[in-house]
Amino acid sequence: MGGYGDVKLLNDDGTRLDGRAIDEMRPLTAEVGILPAADGSAIVTHGLNVAIAAVYGPVEAHPRKIQRQDRAVVDVRYNMAPFSTSDRIRPGYNRRSREISKVTAEALESVVLVERFPRAKISVEIEILAAEAGTRCAGITAASLALADAGIPMRDMVVGVASGKIDNIVVLDLDKAEDNYGQADLPVGILPTTGEIAFLQMDGDLSPEEYNTCMEYNFKAAKEIHQIMIDALKAKYDGGA
Amino acid sequence: MVELVPSLLRQELANLAEDDRRIDGRSQWQSRDIKLEVDCLYNGDGSAKVTLGDTIVYAGVKFEVRTPWPDRPNEGSLMCGAELRPIAGRKYEPGPPSPESIELGRVVDRGIRESGCIDLQSLCIIPGEKVYGVMIDIHVLSDGGNIFDASALAAIAALRTTTVPASTFDIGDDHPLQVSKAPMMCSFTRVGGRYVLDANEQEELGGNERIHITLGDDGHLHSLQKGLKGVFTPAEFAEILDVAQLRCTELRDMVSAKEAN
Repeated sequence: MGGYGDVKLLNDDGTRLDGRAIDEMRPLTAEVGILPAADGSAIVTHGLNVAIAAVYGPVEAHPRKIQRQDRAVVDVRYNMAPFSTSDRIRPGYNRRSREISKVTAEALESVVLVERFPRAKISVEIEILAAEAGTRCAGITAASLALADAGIPMRDMVVGVASGKIDNIVVLDLDKAEDNYGQADLPVGILPTTGEIAFLQMDGDLSPEEYNTCMEYNFKAAKEIHQIMIDALKAKYDGGA
Repeated sequence: MVELVPSLLRQELANLAEDDRRIDGRSQWQSRDIKLEVDCLYNGDGSAKVTLGDTIVYAGVKFEVRTPWPDRPNEGSLMCGAELRPIAGRKYEPGPPSPESIELGRVVDRGIRESGCIDLQSLCIIPGEKVYGVMIDIHVLSDGGNIFDASALAAIAALRTTTVPASTFDIGDDHPLQVSKAPMMCSFTRVGGRYVLDANEQEELGGNERIHITLGDDGHLHSLQKGLKGVFTPAEFAEILDVAQLRCTELRDMVSAKEAN
């Protein structure tokens, strides 16, 4: 967390700078099947974030040394486009994107029925086209949708959602300013059906009580996002019903 | 390299867990013995060696003098990286940094950074022109399981016994680095269906996901990370957080005792 300077992030009436209540999420939209070349794809816009995910596979895993004899590998590449932030990012893989790719892959492997595809690889490509805090969560949500769109069997979807702390108050879904000047960020990947957690990261400063409040907000938001995801899939496969 | 997880080992671990036992005879929340040495490397500005069961990790601190980032003209910088070289075990291969080593370095880095234990402004020499860069390098020499806790402990212990080599850079007299807090990491691995503290190599081989918790002096959370395939429930997290609180206090006392010497 940045935590620099005395930037006020809450208005006098308790609302946030963008007018949201403390437990209010930025608007989220989702659509699947947007990339013709891919086996499955999805776009998620979350506030000003835009995340696109594509799934290719399962195909035989190459090179052979990455094959697993008992299951498929889920290969995730999270990448931010050079034009996705206010300052251009140098193209290519950096330490941050490698770490996010690794833990996202592990979260998705937790729900995909990987045992059904020994020696195979399922590629998940996540491209962030616009980044305004919360891209790893939008990426996870988009990746889950793309996997579903590709017809990959899963025991649940993973919903990416984050909450954090600004001006000593726990809030849901930090935006860019809140992320830069806030005190903590807790992004999680929630399995909405079982209530389990497949993705967990956190940085900043949270007391155990504040952690619990964050999680309460996260679970509430995950429910809302899950409904939007279901609607997006139905829009393609169920005639919008 | 593909490690074919022996299903016999998994079965054995599950059977043991059912009887509330572990493969090396420890109880669920019992750590292996830790040996901590500080100031053990001649050329390090700070250094530490941690031996945790069969795991051996070194951490070294070095300084550089550099120009500050344009948007932070009166702040120095802190960087923590980890090397997992083939010497650490047969599953490690030479080559560019692996996702595993990047994750290790970044999780340890976040715990230290987010605790605010180092005042970055105190690393400023001339605003806008010269600041110190503090680099913590973690070197895993033997992976006998739970390299995360060993690395985090080595890093903070090295940092807390670091001398700023000011005279080397003609900036004044050498002085101790001010580190106001002692963030500690505590890691749990799911073995045989339940979480255990400080998994050893066999337990990691036959286990599932792991959770890393870094706690500050006041018991606040500074960094969390879930690694590997698997899921957990909020109730499971609540239980391991309580264990982590106790364990981190023990570790902190161990580091303080070393500093006093």
